[in-house]
Amino acid sequence: MTVRLKLALTIFATGIVTALLVIAAVIYAFQRFEHETTYRRGTAFLGRVVANNDYLFETFESEPDKFRGWLRNMVLFEPDTQLYLLALDGAVLATSGSAKIAPDFKVALKPVLQAIGQPDAAYVMGDDPERMDANAVVAVQPVRRATMQAGDAVVGYLYLVLHTGQLPSSEPNDGRWAALRMSFGRPALGLILAIVTVTTLAAVLIIVSVTRPLQRLTDAVATISQRGLDAGLTDAPQSALPPATRDEFGQLTRAFEMMLATLRKQWGELRRLDHFRREGVSNLSHDLRSPLTATVACLETLDARWGHHGSEAGADDRRLVEVALRNTRNAARLVQSLGDLAKLDEPEFKLHAEVVDVGELLDDIAVRFAERAAKQGVELVAEHAADEMRPLPFAERAASPPPVAAVDIELFERAIANLVDNALKFCPRGARIALAAQVRDGKVEVSVADTGPGIAAADLPHLFDRFYQSRQSVAPATGEGGKGLGLAIVKRIAELHNGAVSVASVPGEGTKVLLSLPGNP
Amino acid sequence: MPAHILVAEDQTDIRDLLVMNLRGAGYEVSAVGDGEQALARQLESPADLLVLDLMMPRMDGLEVCKALRAKGSAAPILMLTAKSTELDRVLGLELGADDYLTKPFSLAELLARVKALLRRADLLAAAQANNASGQQKVLSSIRNGELEILPAKRQVRYRGEAIDFTALEFDLLLHFASHPGHVFSRAQLLNAVWGYTHDGYEHTVTTHINRLRAKLEADPMRPELILTARGAGYKMRDSP
Repeated sequence: MTVRLKLALTIFATGIVTALLVIAAVIYAFQRFEHETTYRRGTAFLGRVVANNDYLFETFESEPDKFRGWLRNMVLFEPDTQLYLLALDGAVLATSGSAKIAPDFKVALKPVLQAIGQPDAAYVMGDDPERMDANAVVAVQPVRRATMQAGDAVVGYLYLVLHTGQLPSSEPNDGRWAALRMSFGRPALGLILAIVTVTTLAAVLIIVSVTRPLQRLTDAVATISQRGLDAGLTDAPQSALPPATRDEFGQLTRAFEMMLATLRKQWGELRRLDHFRREGVSNLSHDLRSPLTATVACLETLDARWGHHGSEAGADDRRLVEVALRNTRNAARLVQSLGDLAKLDEPEFKLHAEVVDVGELLDDIAVRFAERAAKQGVELVAEHAADEMRPLPFAERAASPPPVAAVDIELFERAIANLVDNALKFCPRGARIALAAQVRDGKVEVSVADTGPGIAAADLPHLFDRFYQSRQSVAPATGEGGKGLGLAIVKRIAELHNGAVSVASVPGEGTKVLLSLPGNP
Repeated sequence: MPAHILVAEDQTDIRDLLVMNLRGAGYEVSAVGDGEQALARQLESPADLLVLDLMMPRMDGLEVCKALRAKGSAAPILMLTAKSTELDRVLGLELGADDYLTKPFSLAELLARVKALLRRADLLAAAQANNASGQQKVLSSIRNGELEILPAKRQVRYRGEAIDFTALEFDLLLHFASHPGHVFSRAQLLNAVWGYTHDGYEHTVTTHINRLRAKLEADPMRPELILTARGAGYKMRDSP
């Protein structure tokens, strides 16, 4: 859920709740007003009635029917109003209505006394004998006898029940409450909804315009995430970020700009350093070649001369030259690898990729190393997935597609050759080295597996690091430690092909290096 | 008569060692220290083969190469370079060098290359002499099914269509077509077609076989003409 949607929904909900609360308050206030006016009118009316008719109770006692007629006349013009004469205990003595009232019904006296005792009360709710509930506004006046007999004693109450219309009525246009509902209810509800909708829309517009800089900043950051720190750097310096406004978003944008500038500065610094480092290594490697060439040539000349002329020099001297030659050649190889690696590291380096059957290439590499492997008594084979099956019908062949990939043949062969060379260095007589290529999940997996001494688990994570020197593994064939750049070059070549290299090894059982390349679609 | 070799190398130590060893191998050797001298010397008294360092003062190896080829000199050129990228390699060969060695190289390798280059030049000269004298020892055309090769014209037709090949591609195809059904390892092809004897350049053969297949085969991944003999090498199918 976006912040924009959240804000819009909040504003909409607040609008609705506010509108409903206002409606409730208006209804409540109106109802109270209605009750109060009704009560006051009723009380005033009853007051006049009692003041003008001295012989009320006497009339009731002597001529009850006449009294009832009189009661009826009193409320003739108020359709929903009934007038009662109550005994002191609340029993109904006479009523203006025609409905039968249960003989044992007694009106609750508490509201009656309240109405008499507190003439200032806003209104009093009391029982309605006809409906036997306490939902009506009532007005009460005490009734006394005209002739003083036992002091000023109250003998009964005139009890006026006034309905304000909140109860369901049989008549359609029943009182002002219904009128209020009609005039206020439906149209007002629609109006309120419309107002809420309009304000919500306005709020959404405002939110959108306020948060637009945020959106733009997000887009800019996304662009930088996708294209790297250099995004927008080459065309126009600030084009990646939106122009800064004066508000908080503007501050955020400026903070971002500053962060970006710092990052770019540091990134540029790093790149410059990296460039110097690469260039330095490359130059060093280049400059070392000539002296190494001269030295190797000298030693080879000496070696050849003594080889031709027999025993001019002592056997010891010859051995010295041999050692010097071997070591110089190793140094030369290292220098070459160093230069190659620096070259492969350059951002401008481009692959010359060709689509090729990798399995075929492995065959050729196996042939290339066959002589050396035979000399060392190591079995070197290129395995094919199809070998395990019978002579295949075409359909089945298609099920196991040939391991075809787009590779730079020179580099790929170099990587595999490095791996085979490594395996040969460490494998004892009788070991087996197997090259295999297969397609799995759209990737071409090339493996070089040997049954050599294996690699210590501690060394595995660092195997492809540059100049990582294993403490355990020392190649028996050359006496060299597992140092050097061969595997680092393999890793770099895999990376250049958008592939990956991994190694699994069990000490004493063997090692398997897996080179995974994107298959050819 | 021993072949005459001109060595151009600005580093005295290496130059002296080259001269010493080439003389030791029985060649007649002269040496210069920069590109300008090399060009002048070669134009004045042409040697049979040039060994040029790529990086030299005043005029580098590539420029010498270009200038010599422009003036019609056909003497094979072996380029020595301290750079080892394929770019330099391609540049070197396209600008007319016949072979190259990256420093540091071994003298044995250098001598082998020199020998191979001279042998190739001799063969070429002999073929041209034969052509000129009208004695066509070379077959006038080789056929294998719908493939037809005209060695003298260096033309190839396949399924009635003329197809263009680079010099090395043509040489490789010709070698295959001259021995149909015969299996060659990459090392053998490298030696026979390129004249290299050195380990580490076999990928060049793979690349060229790939290109031949791309130009000739309907589906290069299922070749019908240049076949793979697994674990042994490559061959052209027997003539039908």
